[in-house]
Amino acid sequence: MWKFLVPMALFLGLVVFFVLGLNPNRDIKALPSPLIGKPAPVFSLTDALDPTKTVSNASFKGQVYVLNAWGTWCIPCREEQDTLLTIAKQGVVPIIGLNYNDDRARVQRWLQQLGNPYTAVAFDPDERTAIDWGVYGAPETFLVDTHGQVIFKYISPLTLEVWEKEFLPRIEAARRSGA
Amino acid sequence: MNSVRTKNSARRAGFAAIGLACALLAAGAAFALDAPVDAHGQLQDPALEARYESISKQLRCLVCQNESIADSNAQLAGDLRRQVREMLVAGKTDSEIFDFMTARYGEFVRFNTPVEGKTLLIWGSPFLLLVVGAIVVFRVTRARSRMSLDDEPSHGPA
Repeated sequence: MWKFLVPMALFLGLVVFFVLGLNPNRDIKALPSPLIGKPAPVFSLTDALDPTKTVSNASFKGQVYVLNAWGTWCIPCREEQDTLLTIAKQGVVPIIGLNYNDDRARVQRWLQQLGNPYTAVAFDPDERTAIDWGVYGAPETFLVDTHGQVIFKYISPLTLEVWEKEFLPRIEAARRSGA
Repeated sequence: MNSVRTKNSARRAGFAAIGLACALLAAGAAFALDAPVDAHGQLQDPALEARYESISKQLRCLVCQNESIADSNAQLAGDLRRQVREMLVAGKTDSEIFDFMTARYGEFVRFNTPVEGKTLLIWGSPFLLLVVGAIVVFRVTRARSRMSLDDEPSHGPA
């Protein structure tokens, strides 16, 4: 009996590993963020559109907000832009843009030509804030709850499907628990 | 008269330019002496530079994932190298620098996985497999030797 059961159990264990590991829908480059469940790193940067103004996530305290890390050098960000504009039109949550490693004039041109989905765009030319948030490949989108905790991170361009499936339910839940 | 004046002013401008260049060079030299990093991005202090090289080889570049930040040309790798240098100059310890990186990028950022509760399986699995293998070999050989002992009488003369 054991002679049969032990190899069978080992084999089934392997099957589980292979199904999880070889799943074609899994993005092997997407890493779990250690920031989840932790307080969002606070930043205070200049506004990409107006260098005399500052943008800080501290002023969004008590609100559920989205932080979208991007750059004009990032081709998938261009792909994501239409989705962001649609999401912005819904007006569910403020979207803070974290633009990093970029050129101010180019950022302004991008936002003028393609439209600006952001409530505010923080300008982080030397990537310090992006490093604090553990950003390693734009676009990355974070969700922060009413207690200022990071509750979700999505790596890759946003799609409306992802927004509806992954973000909206979490926003609802965060608001219910925060109220 | 007029041409002499232009010549003079031209000469004066020339001197001024040379003076300015000298001043800039001097300022540059002073800066180089004060700065903890030289023109090639190396730390002036050889001990810090050695630690910098060792640390940057142990940190993964998350853009290319199979390269260390020391080897990678990605923008992020460069910015993380700058971060390591700055922290070294600020007097941080190696473990403070690793903690800084892990807090932001997760355990994956380290090529040398530390031995901890949740990584025990990774570190222990080779030994675990060795023990399991030893048990299997032991049992198989014992079963065989018992079998051959049992078989012996039938092979020998009756």
